[in-house]
Amino acid sequence: MTMEAIDDSAFPARPVSNRVGGPGWFRRHLGSIVKHGVINLFMVIIILPLLWVLLLSVKSRPDAAQGRFWPTSFDFTRYTYVFERIDTFPLNLWNSIYVTTGTVLITCLCAVLAGYALVHLKPKGGAFIIIVLLVSLYLPIRVVSIISIYEIQNWLGLINVTSGLILPYVTLNLAISILIMRSMFQLVPHQMMEAATMDGAGPWKTLWLVGLPMVRNGLVVIFIVNFVTAWGEYLLCTTLTNDQTARTMPVVLAAAQGGLGQWSWPALAAVYVIVVTPGIIAFAFAQKLFFKGLTEGMLKG
Amino acid sequence: MGIRDAGREKGSMAEVIASDSISRYQRIGLFTQIRQGLSPWWFLLPAVIFFIGYQAYPIFRVLWVSFTDYQYLSQSPAQWVGFANYVEALNDPLMWKSLWRAALFTLMFLPGTIILPLLLAVLVDRVSNARLATIYRVVLLIPAVIPSTLVFVLWKWMYNYQAGPINRFLIDTLGLFTIQDAPQWLGGTALTLPAIAVMEVWWGLGYHTIFFLAGLASIPRDLPEAARIDGASEWQIFWHVIRPRLAPIMMILVVLRFGTAMAVIDEYLIFGGFNRETPTYTWTIFMYDQAFHLGLWRQGFAAAIGLIGAAAMMVVMVLLIRVFRSRD
Repeated sequence: MTMEAIDDSAFPARPVSNRVGGPGWFRRHLGSIVKHGVINLFMVIIILPLLWVLLLSVKSRPDAAQGRFWPTSFDFTRYTYVFERIDTFPLNLWNSIYVTTGTVLITCLCAVLAGYALVHLKPKGGAFIIIVLLVSLYLPIRVVSIISIYEIQNWLGLINVTSGLILPYVTLNLAISILIMRSMFQLVPHQMMEAATMDGAGPWKTLWLVGLPMVRNGLVVIFIVNFVTAWGEYLLCTTLTNDQTARTMPVVLAAAQGGLGQWSWPALAAVYVIVVTPGIIAFAFAQKLFFKGLTEGMLKG
Repeated sequence: MGIRDAGREKGSMAEVIASDSISRYQRIGLFTQIRQGLSPWWFLLPAVIFFIGYQAYPIFRVLWVSFTDYQYLSQSPAQWVGFANYVEALNDPLMWKSLWRAALFTLMFLPGTIILPLLLAVLVDRVSNARLATIYRVVLLIPAVIPSTLVFVLWKWMYNYQAGPINRFLIDTLGLFTIQDAPQWLGGTALTLPAIAVMEVWWGLGYHTIFFLAGLASIPRDLPEAARIDGASEWQIFWHVIRPRLAPIMMILVVLRFGTAMAVIDEYLIFGGFNRETPTYTWTIFMYDQAFHLGLWRQGFAAAIGLIGAAAMMVVMVLLIRVFRSRD
């Protein structure tokens, strides 16, 4: 509401109406109040569950048991406790980190190469590939194909092998990543690429030196999208691995029951906060590029 | 080979040089040809390998398996049984029941996940303060960068019978229930599917709003302005000016979210179980139960269940696209 007042100060002809509570102020700003009220209600609904789990992680045990929203005392020791006392926690966290890193790097590489080739090298059959990719976005096959993915992984000897998860993970967002990169490369003018080729640069060099810097925003988008998917994947991980030590952190967390000892509620919440933070931090850093890439990609596709 | 041959045949020097240079010329020509023709495919190769290996091949493999009596843990080789699995699945009341449950969930989830973001997008689009608009957008996208399983875990705790904040609020703050008769959100009650639907709407709220905002940004500003000058009410402007221009985005969202809602499985595995009487035992869980849980893992039968479910979804998706197209 103060922001609205600032907005209105651009019109000095009505100085009285700026003051909150002035005559007729409420009626004149009713629409704006309702608008911001509704928006902020939604904002609170989005933030509240996350705030709750953040506060839970620093609550004392009695506070957590009583279900008081704001803790009476803050206790940050949980964050060291979970590293020392939950035996599989460092292992699971490490699994999450390297599986996600591997997946993101491979998918981004595949998508950049494919997107560049589809737009600027114009392969025969490129249109066919694009149609196949588009159709695959709408085909409801993720659930059904788990049956044969299990078989493939077993055949490759990758059941219960954490790094083996990277292979099926790459395909989860591969189609959409390629399509996003394709629409980003379409924004790069052909003349630029041709000029680089004229100067004697091969397709690889052109891509690396000219193309890549221009599709940075799209790269940020597919990086985040793939990160989020791989970091939180459940179905494949729970099906293709059996031991808790081979699983990623979110999957172990999903099976954990809140109770006493190492799995007490505040300890669980601390694990949660540790696992959820990387994504939010990555997003916070890349936020501007992410929005740019998202709108550029969406308006094209 | 080439080197040895060149050493044995001793023709005139000129001949050797000439033939050598010609063949090298031809070889380079051919090589360049191949390189230029294939070069795009070198770039596409990694993507194609993954796509074929883990997306295309599994479809055909599952299709084949669905016509056999394949049991994963059985030693005997799979026998071709024709449509027997499909007949068995279609005659099983559980197949229909489980499909209906998935449809029921979709009906609970789909309207909320389209209408609420649309409303929110129209409101956020009218925020004139640039900094405030950016803050709203950033908050909106926070749930979208929370990985799926972590969303489910968070809401599993939110809905927890004893320790969950929702029940604590209802019992301690509002006093509507006691600890004995508080609502059991998860765990296979009638409340479970609506509770999961609320979670999904929360998860998609921000992302879908951003989607609609991008659509709204592409509408020229003077269109609603002109309508306003002509005396149209805000509702009329929304219905006749804005809504038709958002229809393509709406279609993509409805079709995609219909697809996700019908094929939900992770949530049901986490919140539910393999109890056939519970509302979370949908066709996806039915398939998973048969493929990885029961007996000798009847994956042939499971594949038939999965493909029936997928086919049912495809039919509705095509119908949806047709309905949207015909209205343009």
